[in-house]
Amino acid sequence: MPKNAAITEKSANRPRLGFLRGLTLLGLVLVLWVGLTMATDSFMTSPNISNLMRQTSLWAIIAVGQTFVVITAGIDLSVGAVVGLASTVVSLLLKAGYPIWAAVSLTMLIGPVVGSFHAFGILKMGLPPFIMTLATMTGLRGFGLLLTDGLTIAGLPDAFVDFSRDSFLGIPMLAWMVVIVAVPAYILLNHSRWGRYIFAVGSNSEAARLSGISIPKTIYLVYITSASCAAFAGILTASRISIGVATTGEAWELQSIAAAVIGGASLFGAVGSVPGPLLGSLLLTTISNGANLLNINPFWQRIITGMLIILIVWLDQMRRKKR
Amino acid sequence: MTYTDAVSDGFPALDGEKPILELRGLQKRFPGTHALKGIDLKLRRGEIHAIVGENGAGKSTLIKVLTGAYLKSAGSILWDGEEVSLSAPQDALNIGINAVHQEVVLCPHMTVSANIFLGIEEQRFALLKKKKMAQRAQEVLDDLGFRIDAEAQLNSLTIGQQQLVATARAAIRGTKLLILDEPTGYLTRSETDQLFALIRRLHKQGVTIIYISHRMEEIFELADSVSVLRDGELVASRAVRETTPQQLIHDMVARSIDEVHYKERIELGETLLAVEGLCGPGFDNVSLSVRRGEIVGIYGLIGAGRSEFVECVYGRHKKTAGMISMCGRPVDIKSEADAIGNGIVLLPESRRDQGLCLNLDVGFNLALPVFRKLSSFGLVNKHKEIAVADRQIEDLYISTDGRLALASTLSGGNQQKIVIGKWLNHGAQIYIFDEPTVGIDVATKQQIYKIISVLLKGGAGVLMISSYLPEVYDLSDTLHVFRSGRLVGSFGPREVEHETILGLAISASNEKDQG
Repeated sequence: MPKNAAITEKSANRPRLGFLRGLTLLGLVLVLWVGLTMATDSFMTSPNISNLMRQTSLWAIIAVGQTFVVITAGIDLSVGAVVGLASTVVSLLLKAGYPIWAAVSLTMLIGPVVGSFHAFGILKMGLPPFIMTLATMTGLRGFGLLLTDGLTIAGLPDAFVDFSRDSFLGIPMLAWMVVIVAVPAYILLNHSRWGRYIFAVGSNSEAARLSGISIPKTIYLVYITSASCAAFAGILTASRISIGVATTGEAWELQSIAAAVIGGASLFGAVGSVPGPLLGSLLLTTISNGANLLNINPFWQRIITGMLIILIVWLDQMRRKKR
Repeated sequence: MTYTDAVSDGFPALDGEKPILELRGLQKRFPGTHALKGIDLKLRRGEIHAIVGENGAGKSTLIKVLTGAYLKSAGSILWDGEEVSLSAPQDALNIGINAVHQEVVLCPHMTVSANIFLGIEEQRFALLKKKKMAQRAQEVLDDLGFRIDAEAQLNSLTIGQQQLVATARAAIRGTKLLILDEPTGYLTRSETDQLFALIRRLHKQGVTIIYISHRMEEIFELADSVSVLRDGELVASRAVRETTPQQLIHDMVARSIDEVHYKERIELGETLLAVEGLCGPGFDNVSLSVRRGEIVGIYGLIGAGRSEFVECVYGRHKKTAGMISMCGRPVDIKSEADAIGNGIVLLPESRRDQGLCLNLDVGFNLALPVFRKLSSFGLVNKHKEIAVADRQIEDLYISTDGRLALASTLSGGNQQKIVIGKWLNHGAQIYIFDEPTVGIDVATKQQIYKIISVLLKGGAGVLMISSYLPEVYDLSDTLHVFRSGRLVGSFGPREVEHETILGLAISASNEKDQG
């Protein structure tokens, strides 16, 4: 039957752009890994790989939340500041004698509170996401410094600090935390109604509105998700560096945006995935880790990272245009 | 009011049955425009009711009010005899009103199936039943005879196919009233047939349908009754079998404000702009000329190729063949700057998007094309800038709080005057007006026509595009009619009747088979 033939043909021809990009990124990471293994003795060693995974994990968790916001054509510049704030709050609570579960739970409240504030500012006060989160990026950092008087909080409980050093089945706990974030995030984005709404709002918010979708609820959802991911990463960071410092996570908002964009998210909205930012963070971390091992001037690292972002996004644009 | 008898006499009798939808004195006002001036309308359950009217008559506004996209300003909407508020799209969806809009309002980055089920996703334990939805979407599409892959991304389809998806989407939503707003605009003949088959099927299932179109043959093929909107008023409601296309066209164009169209007799001078055999994207083989002191009108429906034609003359699109000359010399226009350099300026259709920097002040907008003239060594001479702005504000009677008021705070008519004023400051020989008076009140319209007269007396020529027939009809010295990218007729002043021109612009003959 010609009708069905036409349909199958079209399905087969439809390039899975996201999948292709994922493969390309994975290939790039593998090439770097093979190259680094051959170029250095220290890269493919258990301590280095664990270290690499731990650093990737923190960025990956933030980048997943960032991706949710970016899909709605928004941006969250405050995630670095939220990491800093969460790391000081959890440290202060632990020092004040709260049990770990209580300190962590209370700190996690930062997510909904900050995220709701962002959504409120965007929806009710009409501020552009860039400005709203730029303001909280500065403000929340100041809040963290105020809470600690700019001091470092040391002497956190061993159980809390050990968590980030432990492994389970040979894989660092921090990497398991990525799984805990990414799997529900993937299900939410790709297999739930709300995931559809996030894409719909980023693609054509008028069409979403005319379909009876609540745009405010969707905006609240993505900003709360982003701030919660950042708060979670902040707690894990405190555990990893075993201190609470208000200036932790400086410039991480840029890393998270870079990871999301390298992973294929479009700042114009409606394009993005969960594996994307995971691979993006892995690539960024590999570059910085490899550059350290190769004794490349750290200033060069920044230049290389910058050029890489331009290159990858440009290649992606070319591929999109060809379609 | 003269049309009341048409409404009462011609209206298909309801036989005491309760209308499914009734509008009573429905009004919609926008700042500066009164888009719907008290619409009274009753829809019989299960009928196909066509609504016709010229561009800007209020058809799309009416649809947006009925779907909860716009809030009504006054009047009431009764659904099944009970008043409903329709204050949000969800309200309309909940009672079973669905619409397919003229412009496709779907999410281009999502799949066909995701779009079809947007907002009514099927799920189990909060997880989407993706396979099932894709399957059902495909079944619906196949069943309707649409050759569309349910898992294709929407933006990989043609506009026509997207329109069919929008229709299929509305069809599966438990629709009681389906509104189709010019659905065939982008469809090929075979797609149109598929759409009509769908409409007939829904009709059989008892769905009430509002069908908006300006294509007479479609109305006579599909509809049971037809209402005519003109200038935001419902001027006639008739049973389709008791009316004729001629009668409907007459209802659509009859006007009372002809005297607004201010026109002076001006001696025509030599030819300024001559276009010969011009071809480009969206139009083909167009030849016309504009003389000093002449208004050359271009009439056609939206999508007839008139805007594409002027955009090509203005250097926005590349011509593929043909020649443009100014004052007898061939000119090569590759960009807007070339056009302006040759004395051709465009006053665009969308003042807000294309004509003005809305969030900057009136004075800035008036000086925008002449900053080079106002500057020496790259620095703007403030005194000259103030002088050119104030001169135009005075000459054109721009009513504003002054040079420093933001352009966005002015009414549509005064915004249009700024656009004219900025080109007066620059100076030009050919002024292209694209829909010069859309959304402008009657008094300001007349002022704009007087300004145009002044331009003509100064030796300029005017090319005027309008979807508003009486305007181009009354003002043009020569009127060209476009249809499907071709110039299909040219007339001198009042050479033929309105009806002939509208008929020529609408004419169904071979229009769709070209797609």
